[in-house]
Amino acid sequence: MAGYLARRFLQMLLVALVAAICSYGMLYLVPGGPIDQLLAEQQNTGQNRITEDDIRRVRERFELDIYLPFRFTRWLIGWPAGPLPGGIGADWQVGCSIPGQVRLRYPDGRVEVVEEGCEVPVTLADLEGRKVSRGIVFGDFGMSQVMLRGRPVTDLIMTRLPYTLYLMGASILLSILIAIPIGVYSAVRQYSRFDYVMTTVAFIGASLPSFVFGIFAILLFSVLAKNAGLPYLPPGDAVGVRDYTIPWIGTVQAGSFLDRFLRFLMPCGVLTFINIAGWSRFVRGSMLEVLSLDYVRTARAKGVAERVVILKHALRNSLIPFVTLLAGILVSLFSGALITETVFNWPGIGRLFIDALSRNDYNVVMALLIINIVLLLIGILIVDILYTVVDPRIRLT
Amino acid sequence: MVSFTKRAVAIVMVMAMIIPVLAACGGGAAQPQVIRETVVVVQTAEPVRETVVETVVVTEAVAPEPYTTPHPILSDIRVRRAIAYCTNRPELIASVYPYLTPEQQQELLMDTFLPKAHWAAAKENITVYPFDPEKGKQLLEEAGWTGEPIRSNANGEPLSLRFTTTNAQFRQTWSAVFIRQMQACGIQIIPTYAPASWWFGSSTGLRRRDFELGAFAWVGQADPGGQTLYACNQIPLPSNNWEGQNYMGWCNERASRAIIAANNTLDRAERIRQYAIVQEEFTKDMVSLPLFNRLEAYAATNRLKNFKPNPTEYYTANADEWELTEGDTLVLGFTQEPQTMWSLIESAAVQRVASQLLGVPATTSYDYDYQPVGLDGLSTIESGRATNVDVEVKEGDIVWNTDGEAVPLAPGVEITTADGETITYQGGTVKMKQLTVTDKWISGIKWEDGEPLKKADFELAYKINCDPDSGATSLTYCNSIKSIDFKSDTEYTVTFHPGVQWPTYFAGAGLGAYPSHQVLSDGRKLADVPAAEWQTLPEIIERPLSNGPYILKEWVKGQSMTFEANPNYYKGEVKVKKVIIKFIADTNQAVAQLLTGEVDVLGSETLGAGAEVQTVIEAGKEGKIQAFVVASPTWEHIDMNLFTK
Repeated sequence: MAGYLARRFLQMLLVALVAAICSYGMLYLVPGGPIDQLLAEQQNTGQNRITEDDIRRVRERFELDIYLPFRFTRWLIGWPAGPLPGGIGADWQVGCSIPGQVRLRYPDGRVEVVEEGCEVPVTLADLEGRKVSRGIVFGDFGMSQVMLRGRPVTDLIMTRLPYTLYLMGASILLSILIAIPIGVYSAVRQYSRFDYVMTTVAFIGASLPSFVFGIFAILLFSVLAKNAGLPYLPPGDAVGVRDYTIPWIGTVQAGSFLDRFLRFLMPCGVLTFINIAGWSRFVRGSMLEVLSLDYVRTARAKGVAERVVILKHALRNSLIPFVTLLAGILVSLFSGALITETVFNWPGIGRLFIDALSRNDYNVVMALLIINIVLLLIGILIVDILYTVVDPRIRLT
Repeated sequence: MVSFTKRAVAIVMVMAMIIPVLAACGGGAAQPQVIRETVVVVQTAEPVRETVVETVVVTEAVAPEPYTTPHPILSDIRVRRAIAYCTNRPELIASVYPYLTPEQQQELLMDTFLPKAHWAAAKENITVYPFDPEKGKQLLEEAGWTGEPIRSNANGEPLSLRFTTTNAQFRQTWSAVFIRQMQACGIQIIPTYAPASWWFGSSTGLRRRDFELGAFAWVGQADPGGQTLYACNQIPLPSNNWEGQNYMGWCNERASRAIIAANNTLDRAERIRQYAIVQEEFTKDMVSLPLFNRLEAYAATNRLKNFKPNPTEYYTANADEWELTEGDTLVLGFTQEPQTMWSLIESAAVQRVASQLLGVPATTSYDYDYQPVGLDGLSTIESGRATNVDVEVKEGDIVWNTDGEAVPLAPGVEITTADGETITYQGGTVKMKQLTVTDKWISGIKWEDGEPLKKADFELAYKINCDPDSGATSLTYCNSIKSIDFKSDTEYTVTFHPGVQWPTYFAGAGLGAYPSHQVLSDGRKLADVPAAEWQTLPEIIERPLSNGPYILKEWVKGQSMTFEANPNYYKGEVKVKKVIIKFIADTNQAVAQLLTGEVDVLGSETLGAGAEVQTVIEAGKEGKIQAFVVASPTWEHIDMNLFTK
């Protein structure tokens, strides 16, 4: 077991590194970015004209003037942050501050200006004094470049994490508690009326995207309910900003437990519903397979009570594939639900990720991606270990 | 061991998928290089290489470069006019804004590059192109394009044009109607709906003039500007490294002279005259077909009085006049959260809407014009507060060159003389205009802690905002200032370098004010903190001291900002005691919150132009809320490229 774990950890490190290189590289390869955004605003000249110097300063702020491999190592391990010990390599070029321009004058008199080479290079010596993180390997995710402008990414994540944790935690727990009994019952009573109803509901839940559910729920339980003078749920947010009155319930104080609870109901309901739809089908399927096996028939033939047959003999074995499904739970607990959080304006990590992407806050995006990668790897490891618990026949060597 | 092998296989497969992608990217980047090489080989001689030190002036003589061959179809003015006559713009408007009344739709129609309500919009001498397909067809016949259903010329070439725009649903909707209208006149349109990142990219699409007909939007401003859009020397070409925004390649000498003159004088009557010339030539030559102003919608609760949406001013500009018929808290909804409350380092609209609550601006800019607020009257030349006199400059003096940079005068520097002519300085003395502006502020403005606004506050703002370490995006304005003389607590005089002619000089020439007396949480005085630290100071970026109608009490990142009435506001405490800004990323959610009464006000930057606008307007008609429709300063148009690659 110890040998197995050690080997797995080594593999995980390698996979995490490759994944980090890929996601970091792709993030910066995407067209657009802060410079294009800046230039898009340069419609009228005049007082707000963007000069080459302005562009240079913005590039420096986003470290875009440092070549990608060095930018990556700075982010990963906080190096290079200046010349090597003893001042070695002070003039080594690690980036380009202003790209060079070359005018090509063709023999027929035609002239063309092209960008080529580097006018002002960035050397290791130039990096000295620039802000640099200790590197994510050492637990420093760096500074938020846009959203918190120069303050730690961790601050940003910590303000959002509690909301995501309790929304996702509650919905996953509820989903498991509801989906497994439904799946089991559907399997045991295959082709019963209950099974048909659940199958239909599950298909609806699995085929419609979450934002459609979200918008329907808002329309139904908030807008239309309020218009009809019925009790309604607040359409979004995690906490209210001022008191409001709901028919039959009375005045709800902003920030009170009731306020938070009412706002929590809809997003949690939608997420739970979608999870149940998928998972209950999964449990039903594997349960059906197990129920038709010989040992179940043997158990029944021996006269074991049906309850025991199902719960002890069948259910435990049918849960093995389901446990695989749970590998992703750790990630979803942390990363939240991108779409649902946006639709319900839930201030969680999912919304943070979308915000950070659209605002070019590279460090925040990378921090979230890398945490997801690591959590997914840990999730897979835990699942592998869980197999041995669910099925003692499996041994990790 | 089994799991190890599978994992290894999986990694190999992932790499196998990624490597071709990376290879493809690498190949793409290398492409221009290849083309350049080919050109050189064809010429069988190496081009002369020199490092660029100055802008290359393109003249007609440098012939065979891209975009100097007249377009076979669009260079004919009759075809361009035919396109204009065949375009039924009210129908285009109706396709995207079906819920507006015909009168409201009519208000969005544009005839020139300035909205009808603009002070510089020409009323006479402009050529208008009402929908008249018969006239359009007749012009096409005259130009030699005949036949049905697609016209062709004598050589049998079809009248077919590429039409490029973004893949935004809004543009696809109206361009579908446009394509049908062109078809009715026998013009074939082949549309390309490109991603905005390509169409507006820094080295693709529009900036490389890679289009025949191209649709996009400009944003109108109180100052019409336009020099980079319509002057002859602003045509992007390979030889000037694609500088300029005259994507049509339109060079009309009279219009070009007029647009430069209009941007080089401070006399408003003269500017109106020059802009009238540009608009006259612009509409006559029909190089760019103005279509319509976009729509801006605002929504407010019925409880709010004196809400004043305007195309060129943020709706919070008159927050001190707001009143509520019921309750004392107003909730505003924003789709985007400001990054910082420091206006110097962020220019997003949401930042401006929020920071209006915390300060007294020098002026407001309602209806494409300026109105004094903090200033005791506009600092115009007519009022005697500003002067624009001729000064003699000689070699070595710092002047403002035509590129908009402060440089020492030396032979070869291009400048604009006092007569408005652009010359290349050779030597000796030259006369240039020098602008001096005195801003006089009203007295009685106080910070929220009761400390009055004073000279040191204005001085501090100049010192910090013009420091390159402060994080300011553009320092162009600072660089144009020769000196500032801070005379008293309410008055200072700004002297600009010779050659600086800011058209909006009268709307506040200073750089604002910071509370120089403020003591920070670490015990330092704000005035003693170096500029480089300001962008991380909580007292500046998160909880700035206010002298406006409200005080920022709390900012919960990602959720809301809470403002309370400022007891020391110079006009007296405002009536609405509390304003909360809530961040709602999704527009559907924002509208739902408006309809359930969770949010009271949604501005245009939150509502956008999608289906939500319709919902809001309909709710307005039913009397549930107040809905406002305003012609946005953003206007759609179709540029016609007069040249071909």
